Amino acid sequence: MKTLDEFVGLVRTELGLPLTDGDARRTFDELPGWDSVYLLTVLTLLERRTGKQVSLPAMLEAGSLEQIYTLAAAA
Amino acid sequence: MEDFFTHHASGPLDFARVPALLAGLDGPDLLRAGRLLARLTPGDVPDARTCTIAVTGQGTLAPLIPALAGELARHGLLARTTVGQFGGYLTELADPASEIYAAKADLTLCVLDAQTVFDEVPVPWRPADVEAVFTAKLATLENLIGRFEKAGGGTLVLNTLPLPHRFTAQLVDHRSRAQLGAVWREATARLLRLGEEHPGVVVLDLDPLIAEGIAVDEPRFRSYAGLHLSEPLLARYAREIGHLGRGVAGTTKKVLVLDLDGTTWGGVLGEDGQDGVRVDGAFRDFQRVIKQIGSQGVLLAVASKNDAEPVARMLRDHEGMTLREDDFVRVTANWRPKHDNLTVLADDLNLGVDSFVFVDDSPGECGLVRRELPGVSVVQVDVEPALHVGKLLRDGWFDVRELTVEDGKRVTKYRDELVRKDFLDSFDSIEQYLKELEVRVVLAEADAQQVPRVSQLTLRTNQFNLTTTRLQQPQVQAMLDNPQWTVLTIASSDRFGDNGLVGVLFARRDGTTVHLDNFVLSCRVFSRGIEQACLSALLGRAKAEGATEVLAAYRPTAKNGKVAGLYPRYGFAEAGEGLFRHDLADIVEVPDHLHLEQR
Repeated sequence: MKTLDEFVGLVRTELGLPLTDGDARRTFDELPGWDSVYLLTVLTLLERRTGKQVSLPAMLEAGSLEQIYTLAAAA
Repeated sequence: MEDFFTHHASGPLDFARVPALLAGLDGPDLLRAGRLLARLTPGDVPDARTCTIAVTGQGTLAPLIPALAGELARHGLLARTTVGQFGGYLTELADPASEIYAAKADLTLCVLDAQTVFDEVPVPWRPADVEAVFTAKLATLENLIGRFEKAGGGTLVLNTLPLPHRFTAQLVDHRSRAQLGAVWREATARLLRLGEEHPGVVVLDLDPLIAEGIAVDEPRFRSYAGLHLSEPLLARYAREIGHLGRGVAGTTKKVLVLDLDGTTWGGVLGEDGQDGVRVDGAFRDFQRVIKQIGSQGVLLAVASKNDAEPVARMLRDHEGMTLREDDFVRVTANWRPKHDNLTVLADDLNLGVDSFVFVDDSPGECGLVRRELPGVSVVQVDVEPALHVGKLLRDGWFDVRELTVEDGKRVTKYRDELVRKDFLDSFDSIEQYLKELEVRVVLAEADAQQVPRVSQLTLRTNQFNLTTTRLQQPQVQAMLDNPQWTVLTIASSDRFGDNGLVGVLFARRDGTTVHLDNFVLSCRVFSRGIEQACLSALLGRAKAEGATEVLAAYRPTAKNGKVAGLYPRYGFAEAGEGLFRHDLADIVEVPDHLHLEQR
C-alpha cells in the first residue's frame, strides 16, 4: 500500500462504502455510512497489510482517512 | 463464476441466491459480505425471510452486526439487528419499555464476558471475592430472566464467560489459581443450567469455541474500544446464532445424505472390493459421528454411484463398519445422477430437498447437486478423511433447542412410512388401502409435558402448516395457561405402528366465535383422512359449546400451497383477509375408515 488513493481503495472494498479518492480528506462525520466501529476494522486491515503495529489511541483521535494513512505510513 | 461480491455490485440482490453465493466464504471475506448485507433493509429484498435480533450486553457489541448479517444470510435469513447501549444489559433487560424489548426480537442476545464479573471485584482480590461477585451476578441474571419471561418475548440467549489467563495469572500461587478455576467453573455450571430451568433461555457454551484456537479478546480493542470479546470470537458466536435463527425460522435440516466411496469409507468399493476398502481410523471416527447424529432424530440416507448388491453386502457383512443398513432410512446405490436420487428420496419421505444436507468428496458431484438443487446444503469433504468430522460439524445443520420423545423414534417412523408406501402400491384403490391401514386418531387437550413437541411441530412443519405461526415453548405454555385458548393435540397410529404426536389445532374462543388460528399436521400422515376427522371434531365441539361460527385462518407461504384449499373443501366459505368461515350448519363427517377418539 503505497499511496493514499490505494488506501482509500482498500477501505472502499473492505467496508463496501461508496468512497471516492476525494473523501480521504473529509471528516468521518461527513462520510456516508461511516460508523466509528469501522476504525477497528481499518486498524486490523492496515496491520495485516503493513505488518507493523499502528497506535489505536492515535487512530481513535484521527479525524479523516488521510490522517489515518499518515499515521500508518509513519509507523 | 459469479461470486457474492460481483453479484452484489451488479445489483439488485437476489436474496434467494445468497446462501449458495456465501457457501465458500469464511473469516474476513464473510465479514466483508456481512457488512454489505447489514445495510440491506427489508424493502431492498422484499422476498427475504427476516430474523429480528436484539443485542444487549456488557461491552462494545456493534461488530456483531455484520457478523450476524453474514451468518444469518448463509441460512437464507435477513438479520434485522438492534444493539443496545454500551454496558446496558442490566437496565435494558429490567425495563420492559427499553429498545431491547421494543424490538420484539425473535432472538435476544445478552452477550457477557469475564469483565462482567471482574469489573465488580475489589483490588486486591482472592478467589472468594470472585466467587461472591459471580454468585451475585447469577442472582441478578435469574431476576432478569424472570422479567424477560414476564414480557413474553421470544428466546433469550446467554453465554458462558471464558476465563482469560490475564486473571488466573494474577494469582501467584498454584493453589489459589486452581481455586479460582474451580469457583469460576462451578458458577459457569450454574449459568449453563439456567437453560434447563427456563425453556425460553439458551446458554451458549463458549469454551468449545475458544478451544478451536480463537483468542478471547484483543488487549488494545478491549482497553481503548471496550470490545471485551475479540472480533473472531464474536464472529464464531454469530455462527451459533445463525443456527438458532434457522431453528426459529423453522428451516432446520432433517436429512443427512452420504456418499460412500471416499466419504464413508476409503477407496472405491467397485474396484477395491469389500476387503480392499478402508473403514478404520478417520473413517471409523466419521462413521461414529454419523451414527451419533442419526440417533437424535436426523434421518440418514445414502446416495452412492455403485451397484446396489455389493453396497448392501458391505453394510451387512463388513466387520469394521460402524454404520449398518438399519441406520439409514434409504440406501440408494445406482448410476443415476445424484440430484435425481435426492429428489426421489425427498418425494418418498414427503420432505422438501431443502431439508437435506449432502456430503460427498467429489467436487463434480457436489457442484452438480449445488447447481441442480440449490436448496440442498452441500458439505464437500476432501481426500483427507481426518478432516471429514470437522467439515460436517462446522455448521450446526441439525441444531434444535431440545430433543423430544419423537426424535428418538424418527428413523423407525420414516422407515415404517416407506413400508406403508409399498403396502399402498399393493392396492388397486386408495379407499381399499385406507380401510386396511386401520388408522386410529386421538384428539386431546395438550398438557404441559407436550409443550416441547407442540412447539417443535410448529417450528419444523412447513407444508401442512396453515398460518406458519412458529411458537417457542413459552408461547405454547402461555396458551395452555389461558382459558380462552384450546390447544388440541393429534396423535395417530395404524397397523404398522404408532406415529406419535403428529399435529396440533390452535383454537381461540371470542364470544360466540371460535377462531382456528392454526392447524399443523406432520407430512408423515397426510392423505389419510386425519385432517378431515380433526376438523369434524373441532367443528362439532364448537357447536356443542354454543359457538355460532368458526373462523379459520390460512396464510400462504412458499411451502404450504398444498393446503390452500383445505378449508373450502370441508365446508368453509371464504370470508376475506385470509379467513374462512364455517356456520356450523352442515359439518363434515369423520371418514369411515378411521377411528377417532376424543379426550
